[in-house]
Amino acid sequence: MAKVSVLNVAVLENPSPFHSPFRFEISFECNEALEDDLEWKIIYVGSAESEEFDQVLDSVLVGPVPAGRHMFVFQADAPNPSLIPETDAVGVTVVLITCTYHGQEFIRVGYYVNNEYPSPELRENPPQKPDFSQLQRNILASNPRVTRFHINWDNSADDQLEAMDSQDLSLSGGLPFSCTPLKGLGLPGCIPSLLPENSMDCI
Amino acid sequence: MKLLKPTWVNHNGKPIFSVDIHPDGTKFATGGQGQDSGKVVIWNMSPVLQEDDEKDENIPKMLCQMDNHLGTDVDCTPGRVIRQKTQPTHRTILGQTAACVNCVRWSNSGLYLASGGDDKLIMVWKRATYIGPSTVFGSSGKLANVEQWRCVSILRSHSGDVMDVAWSPHDAWLASCSVDNTVVIWNAVKFPEILATLRGHSGLVKGLTWDPVGKYIASQADDRSLKVWRTLDWQLETSITKPFDECGGTTHVLRLSWSPDGHYLVSAHAMNNSGPTAQIIEREGWKTNMDFVGHRKAVTVVKFNPKIFKKKQKNGSSAKPSCPYCCCAVGSKDRSLSVWLTCLKRPLVVIHELFDKSIMDISWTLNGLGILVCSMDGSVAFLDFSQDELGDPLSEEEKSRIHQSTYGKSLAIMTETQLSTAVIENPEMLKYQRRQQQQQLGQKGASARESSSATSVAVNGESLEDIRKNLLKKQVETRTADGRRRITPLCIAQLDTGDFSTAFFNSIPLSGSLAGTMLSSHSSPQLLPLESSSPSSFGISKPSTEQTVAVGSKPVGEAVGKDSVTATSTPTASSPSVLTTPSKIEPMKAFDSRFTERSKATSGTPVLTSVPPTVTERLKEQNLVKEGRSRDLQESSSDSDEKVPVTKPSSLSKRRLELEAETVEKKKKGRPRKDSRLMPMSLSVQSPASLTAEKDASCLSAPALALKLPIPGAQRAFTLQVSSDPSMYIEVENEVTAVGGVKLSRLKCNREGKAWETVLTSRILTAAGSCDVVCVACEKRTLSVFSTCGRRLLPPILLPSPISTLHCTGTYVMALTAAATLSVWDIHRQVVVVKEESLHSILAGSDMTVSQILLTQHGIPVMNLSDGKAYCFNPSLSTWNLISDKQDSLAQCADFRSSLPSQDAMLCSGPLAIIQGRTSNSGRQAARLFSMPHVVQQETTLAYLENQVAAALSLQSSHEYRHWLLIYARYLVNEGFEYRLREICKDLLGPVHYSTGSQWESTVVGLRKRELLRELLPVIGQNLRFQRLFTECQEQLDILRDK
Repeated sequence: MAKVSVLNVAVLENPSPFHSPFRFEISFECNEALEDDLEWKIIYVGSAESEEFDQVLDSVLVGPVPAGRHMFVFQADAPNPSLIPETDAVGVTVVLITCTYHGQEFIRVGYYVNNEYPSPELRENPPQKPDFSQLQRNILASNPRVTRFHINWDNSADDQLEAMDSQDLSLSGGLPFSCTPLKGLGLPGCIPSLLPENSMDCI
Repeated sequence: MKLLKPTWVNHNGKPIFSVDIHPDGTKFATGGQGQDSGKVVIWNMSPVLQEDDEKDENIPKMLCQMDNHLGTDVDCTPGRVIRQKTQPTHRTILGQTAACVNCVRWSNSGLYLASGGDDKLIMVWKRATYIGPSTVFGSSGKLANVEQWRCVSILRSHSGDVMDVAWSPHDAWLASCSVDNTVVIWNAVKFPEILATLRGHSGLVKGLTWDPVGKYIASQADDRSLKVWRTLDWQLETSITKPFDECGGTTHVLRLSWSPDGHYLVSAHAMNNSGPTAQIIEREGWKTNMDFVGHRKAVTVVKFNPKIFKKKQKNGSSAKPSCPYCCCAVGSKDRSLSVWLTCLKRPLVVIHELFDKSIMDISWTLNGLGILVCSMDGSVAFLDFSQDELGDPLSEEEKSRIHQSTYGKSLAIMTETQLSTAVIENPEMLKYQRRQQQQQLGQKGASARESSSATSVAVNGESLEDIRKNLLKKQVETRTADGRRRITPLCIAQLDTGDFSTAFFNSIPLSGSLAGTMLSSHSSPQLLPLESSSPSSFGISKPSTEQTVAVGSKPVGEAVGKDSVTATSTPTASSPSVLTTPSKIEPMKAFDSRFTERSKATSGTPVLTSVPPTVTERLKEQNLVKEGRSRDLQESSSDSDEKVPVTKPSSLSKRRLELEAETVEKKKKGRPRKDSRLMPMSLSVQSPASLTAEKDASCLSAPALALKLPIPGAQRAFTLQVSSDPSMYIEVENEVTAVGGVKLSRLKCNREGKAWETVLTSRILTAAGSCDVVCVACEKRTLSVFSTCGRRLLPPILLPSPISTLHCTGTYVMALTAAATLSVWDIHRQVVVVKEESLHSILAGSDMTVSQILLTQHGIPVMNLSDGKAYCFNPSLSTWNLISDKQDSLAQCADFRSSLPSQDAMLCSGPLAIIQGRTSNSGRQAARLFSMPHVVQQETTLAYLENQVAAALSLQSSHEYRHWLLIYARYLVNEGFEYRLREICKDLLGPVHYSTGSQWESTVVGLRKRELLRELLPVIGQNLRFQRLFTECQEQLDILRDK
């Protein structure tokens, strides 16, 4: 049972110009006081083609987290346009909000984002080189896609699992799916914590 | 009779194993399989009862769902439940059985819901009242939890799937049965206490039922037996096997039922002449002469109507009272349901092929006119009867009159909740009880006042909307040491599970877009009482939404089943239609993986140059810091043992270490001397290995001993404050040259402005004082003692070896010598209390050092050692007694909080408290961590409390003795340990009639025993079970007083 569950994410100031910061009001509930901080991140997907163009817009620590319901506003600067492929500047992309505890991601909230020119002229004849100052960003706030992951919430409990997680992080590349079975955790042959909990809680 | 299959009650096509209607009739719970775990869903009853409510979108159908029952493979360590992590697809591929909730049952009060499942656990749920509706974020609005139910207790004992749970009448007990062949009786007043584990079945126990008067509980198992157990002693009353001899094949459940009048017990699956039956067992002699016959396959569930009925009085007919009768519903593997009246030989109604699969559970509404039936096929059916069909239900008074006339007043149940019915035999007892009630009322009033004030404080401030508007500006943002942003989240509500926390925030649904509908539905009254559902409302219900079938007139055909199946599948097929413009669907598929898979970015690769340090780096940094710290602490860290280079050592243990290090340091610095009588001294007493050479040299004629304690070096001058109130300090000046070149030492003492001084011929090494005496130890191994006015009380005492520590309390002087011998004298009476006692026995360990020394007011020396143990010397026994141990597991496991008088009284000062420090809360935590069985906890608590009482006694600390004795007695009373309580009372009371042979002392550590007993009386009086003991003691004390 996850110690932290996200109750709601409200997208503030939407739609807004491309260069204005992202603002999400996040409320979550915690069953049991957390020993350490939660780490929240906003990731802007620059291109559907490759993860290379992902930009971490910001990451914050949130804490201390006693048991109860909490909320905060997570604000992050707009993505750096120079890192977005020109062909992907206009159109639909994705922004992700993730939360990790002890380096383990346990929830991922994804929103579709539509970047388009508000003026009909520009929409008809878009400039060769995307004009970011003219672009409007519209987050499809009504349709969040939430994926939850099982993680080990207890720090002292299972060092092995944790070691595995930190190793994953340090590898920073392909995830080692072919690993030895873990003691005491169901299903051999796959890392349980990497499998989505309810594969999709989406609409 | 009307029949209805509400298709919206489903577990997405998964089997529903259990159904139970809430006692107030407004909701019902179902239990069964979920996606990858057992699932409990609470549904609104009114859409079942009324078609208008069903159609009204503002009336929620599902109130709450809980999928906390885990998979089959669960790590049962409490506090850390790691769920089996599988995708549903894996489960089916591997052919594993899906986890399942086998039983859900509301308590009779309706406050709790108990659920038992394949994860071997029983979970007890309670509604969190303050939290309003909320959605499961990211799921559609329909799946919102309108009510919040939280797990308040997890009951662990079974080693196999829990098949059935049952609350006893009056909710005193909760019984559970399991495939581990046992039945466990839980104390429902004090979860997770286990009152009894009933062993005797040799097969999977699959059903339970309580006798309505609480005298028996019956269980049915796969071992072809039905057993009846007595609640008086939890022993087997009878085992019935004959009707089950022929039983072959297994049913998933065997839910048996006891009739509401208590006369009959009806079993599930029994056989009679190779036909499946439900066996009727008479309470009188457990005779098995009758059965319900007719089902073609095994009976899985029997459920009696909670009401007792009598024949409907027709207007013209004579008022001849007919015999009351009961009504019983029987469900079977043959997918049919029969309803019987005990006054009829034939069933009232039989409904064939109600489901596609076996019937799993039946629940009656409390008014006795409706039943919900659930099936393995994942659907639920509701039957509604009229009073014409069943008869007139008896009122609760009439029902209890039947119980009383049949079984007398002696209901077997006697628990804390029920004690009000016990007869109070003694007027004094009555007085105590009354006084207690008044106090409780007073306390309740006070707490209510507190909570109301808390509410006003919280709500005074701002509405949630205001908070939200200014959240960004208001939220506290700081930077961590490594420059990262850290936001302190705003706490908007506290959890109200368990027994704590007043609800001080009226929650408003937070979600903007999603919960908008929920807001409106919440504010409208949606829950209608069951009584308001007149039968006419059922007539209107149309087949468009559900199947309304008048049984008898139309056979319930396959159409019903098919329709229900298609209807069930529709909600699952809700497909995500995400964007409005279809042209943009193309790129979205490409994003799909991004929503579900952890990306590189989360795993810590910096993408932007401006990005703050990512997780990996942070982790590394933390590790560096931690490793550094751990080296400082000289901790034998297991870092090197770890296989993975970048591991994160458990910070918890680190923190604990740091904490310990801090406390040790504090001790070394010494404590502030506030208490003038009790002055714990801090010493850095070391074992020989660490003694410096020069110190060795300075030792004068020290005999060769294994143990050497450090000697204070001779100083030119020093000052020592003896006490601050009254202000008293000693000044020592060594080598003051006096007349003729003779070097003398001067001792000055200043007490509240009045000073005296004297001279000694040897250099003074150390001094000590109390309000009664001042003493100094000199280089020449002499000890001199002076009165408070500076008069020498004794000629110099020659110590056997140089002084190490000198200490005074009251008129007692304690000298610890370098040879590790200890002496205590009572200067006033001029007697030796402890004579050159060696510390060898307690300092036997290799690197043990004395970290703290204490001399109590009664001249009892206490040594606190570096390993956390503390010993006191008992002069009358000439023994060192262990009175405290920091590592003592008893202290960590004991939980006697319920027996503490009150919060402030917990702070009891005295030598024992000084030595042991404050270790008050650990017990409860330990209980959570290790989930001790209650019996073990009881034992450890008892052992701990007895240790405390004995320690206080040997320290002769009367105040603490009284304190711990009271706690101990209160614990004995609460837990009902009569023998030990009686022994204490006997000792305190002593012989009532004087006899010369009596060894009885009338006092203990200066307290009059009989006075203590008087103090204990109200404690004993709190438990009516001990009223005899109370009366006995009371009377004898009165006799003694009159003498």
